[in-house]
Amino acid sequence: MVILEVKNVSKFFGGLAANSDVSFNVEQGMIMGLIGPNGAGKTTLFNCITGYYPPSRGDVTFDGRRMNGLQPNQVCKLGMARTWQKVRPLAKMSVLDNVMVGALCRTNSLKVARELAMEQVKVVRLEHRLNFPAGGLPIGERKKLEVARVLATQPKLLLLDEIMGGLNPAESDEIIKLIFEIKKDGITQVVIEHDMKAIMRISERIVVINSGEKLAEGTPAEIVANPEVVEAYLGSEH
Amino acid sequence: MIVFLQSLMSGVLIGGVYALIGIGLTIIFGVMRVINFAHGDILMIGMYLTYFLFTLLGIDPFLSVVICIPVMFVFGALTQKLFINRMLGALPQNQILLTIGLGLIMSNTIMLLFTSDYKILTTTYSSSSVDLAGISVSEPLAISFVITAVITAILYWFLMKTDTGQAIRATAQDREAAQLMGINVRWTSILAFGIGSALAGTAGALISPTYYIFPQVGSAFTLKAFVITVLGGMGSIVGATIGGIIIGVTESMSAVYISSGWKEVVVYVLFLLVLLFKPSGLMGTSRM
Amino acid sequence: MSANLSVAGQRGVSPLGLGLFALALVALLLFPLFVNSPYALHMMILLFLSVIMGESWNILGGYAGQYSVGHAAYFGVGAYTTMILMTAKGIPPWFGAWAGVVMVIGVALIIGSICFRLRGPYFVLASIAVAEIMRLSAFNLKDLTNGAEGILAVSVPPLTIGGTVITDFLSKVPFYYFGLGLALLTIAVTWAVEHSKLGYFFQAIREDQDAAHSLGISLTLYKNIALVISAIFTSLAGSYYAIYVGFVDPNTVLPLDLSVQIVLISIIGGIGTLFGPVVGALVLVPLSEALRSNLITKALFSIGLVSESSKIGAFLQENLSHAHVLIYGVLVVIVILFMPEGVLGFVSRLVHKITRRDA
Repeated sequence: MVILEVKNVSKFFGGLAANSDVSFNVEQGMIMGLIGPNGAGKTTLFNCITGYYPPSRGDVTFDGRRMNGLQPNQVCKLGMARTWQKVRPLAKMSVLDNVMVGALCRTNSLKVARELAMEQVKVVRLEHRLNFPAGGLPIGERKKLEVARVLATQPKLLLLDEIMGGLNPAESDEIIKLIFEIKKDGITQVVIEHDMKAIMRISERIVVINSGEKLAEGTPAEIVANPEVVEAYLGSEH
Repeated sequence: MIVFLQSLMSGVLIGGVYALIGIGLTIIFGVMRVINFAHGDILMIGMYLTYFLFTLLGIDPFLSVVICIPVMFVFGALTQKLFINRMLGALPQNQILLTIGLGLIMSNTIMLLFTSDYKILTTTYSSSSVDLAGISVSEPLAISFVITAVITAILYWFLMKTDTGQAIRATAQDREAAQLMGINVRWTSILAFGIGSALAGTAGALISPTYYIFPQVGSAFTLKAFVITVLGGMGSIVGATIGGIIIGVTESMSAVYISSGWKEVVVYVLFLLVLLFKPSGLMGTSRM
Repeated sequence: MSANLSVAGQRGVSPLGLGLFALALVALLLFPLFVNSPYALHMMILLFLSVIMGESWNILGGYAGQYSVGHAAYFGVGAYTTMILMTAKGIPPWFGAWAGVVMVIGVALIIGSICFRLRGPYFVLASIAVAEIMRLSAFNLKDLTNGAEGILAVSVPPLTIGGTVITDFLSKVPFYYFGLGLALLTIAVTWAVEHSKLGYFFQAIREDQDAAHSLGISLTLYKNIALVISAIFTSLAGSYYAIYVGFVDPNTVLPLDLSVQIVLISIIGGIGTLFGPVVGALVLVPLSEALRSNLITKALFSIGLVSESSKIGAFLQENLSHAHVLIYGVLVVIVILFMPEGVLGFVSRLVHKITRRDA
């Protein structure tokens, strides 16, 4: 079952086309990788999908519902959540309170929110930081916090924007384990990543974006063998 | 028709001075991204400086601009170095509060030293006017306008043609890039605040023959300066110039066609409309 | 980095804190029974007023992070509505104040719809512009507000419940209790906000608006809720002030100076904390009064630091009484530069450091 349908999405900023006619479908429960060189327009695509700004053209359909023009909070309530390329901890609030903010998306009771939040804090293994102010965490833990917080909103679809950016191999491994656990819970994921090894490990399908356009789509094996993809990445890390 | 042209003329003339105030503020914002809420109070200090140069030393206010510029430049540079420099990375809300605090210190120190009595600077030509094709043009305003135009031209030349000026513009455009190119951004910030203060103080000098001088006179000018710079586009000198004239004319027309009590309300309502519908202003970007 | 004490949902009030609070409460309730001086009561009333204004602003500015520097607008609406209804229509202030609340909710929602689209400094500027528009309108709409002359109330009608006169407002004591009650109410509302979903959402908006938005929080809705709560209590403060002083004019209840002072109470005390504004009020009110009544000058004379007959002495004596706004300015600069978490934050960090050393 297709949970997210991106159809001919384009986004223009003034005269610049950040996204050009991008289309792909995401099946429920899968992990889809979204890759492309820096500046290809991946984050712009996420922003269009989640309502940070509307697409200039094209349609985004989630769970059978057209999402164009919805506000980010509405998108989240409908079950699609995202993390940010540059982590956004609620700095002066504690780790627990950060995750509770996410949980309060689904309940009005502080008590219930606290329980839901605790669950997610345990999932990402940040229990030792419960009352620590989020702004003081090292980058690896901030990323985990961001995941916990967004999981607390009980999404059906999770969009991860370079969640492994800036992490060392051990930290990246933890995140990969997390992604698999999230998949086990039935949550669909679309993952933007630069770490090729990670993407190959986790993705069932990959979409390649280059200069705002969709370059290729297929299984990891197909993508790696695609000469155009290889050429687009000439010069970047692999 | 005469009434229309008359109010248009006074609007343009006072608009020139407003433009000077706006340019100062926009340079400060352009280079430092600081919203300087003490701008009007710096203007007020310029007014008092001019007043005392006139009453104690007999120097004509328009001539004293020559003294006002360097003195106010140093004043601004010191203020920046001692206080504002520490806050360059802070939340904009805190920066505003800092400059509000500095403004309060300025206006209240002056009040403490010289009382809140309204002072008037009357020169021989304070109320004289020249007849220009049937329109009465206030002489002091006309002279202010000319001096403003000269200063603006010199400023423009300085920013476009000199190395220092270009360094300032580079910092305004992209602080990090400028730093990487070897520009001492701390210095350009100090210079920017100094220049901005010099312009504000000079505007104060220019309007001292025609306005009441009292410690609290600054706050109305500060808010107006913001209207001008937002209207013109924060960081744009051309924008501030146009914005100043527009605001001057709007105020003048409102005073004539609505009432002098409502003229400032019109300006502030215009401000809100700009903030709502075109917050980037007429010129759009933060490019000087 | 040590744990910030202003974190929302901090569980468990220390028994010491609770005990101190109860003690203070009892002391405040009994105060007028033991202290007769109208001057002392006046001081306490000014204190309560500052607490109410500070705590109200703090909900919007401290918790939700929206620094309005135009809160005088709400104060003025409350003050004028109550005064106009009382002097023109004979409506007692305890009803007039609620009319003021209704008015201010409308005003706040309009202001919110204009200002909340703007971020950071632009929001501040817009809030200032709005308050100035209101002040100038109060000057110009002479039929309604009496313009620059202001409105003078001859007397407050006695408060009667079912035919029995509770008070006729001839002494300061009833004002004291009203003020205390309102101050406690505002603190209680802040506490309730802090310990509710609202508190979490407000702070999320303050910390990172876009992140909050993406977590399902409607920015418009919650910013407006914060604003309305804040405006309501600021308006009640205005109504209270109007009745106590008996006079309103555009330059006392609507000026930029007042808006700045309201912000200062929270900034100096500790922004975004429950008792920060109380601390701020405790610093600002006695300080400005000490200046106004030349207490500081007299103290300097008595300890011999400055000679009464000297030029400096004469200068201080004549001018320091007008210097309270100057001191506000100095305080703001010092606090912003060196104590961004206010006196409360500064002190609690100090306490934390000391207790850590013992551990």
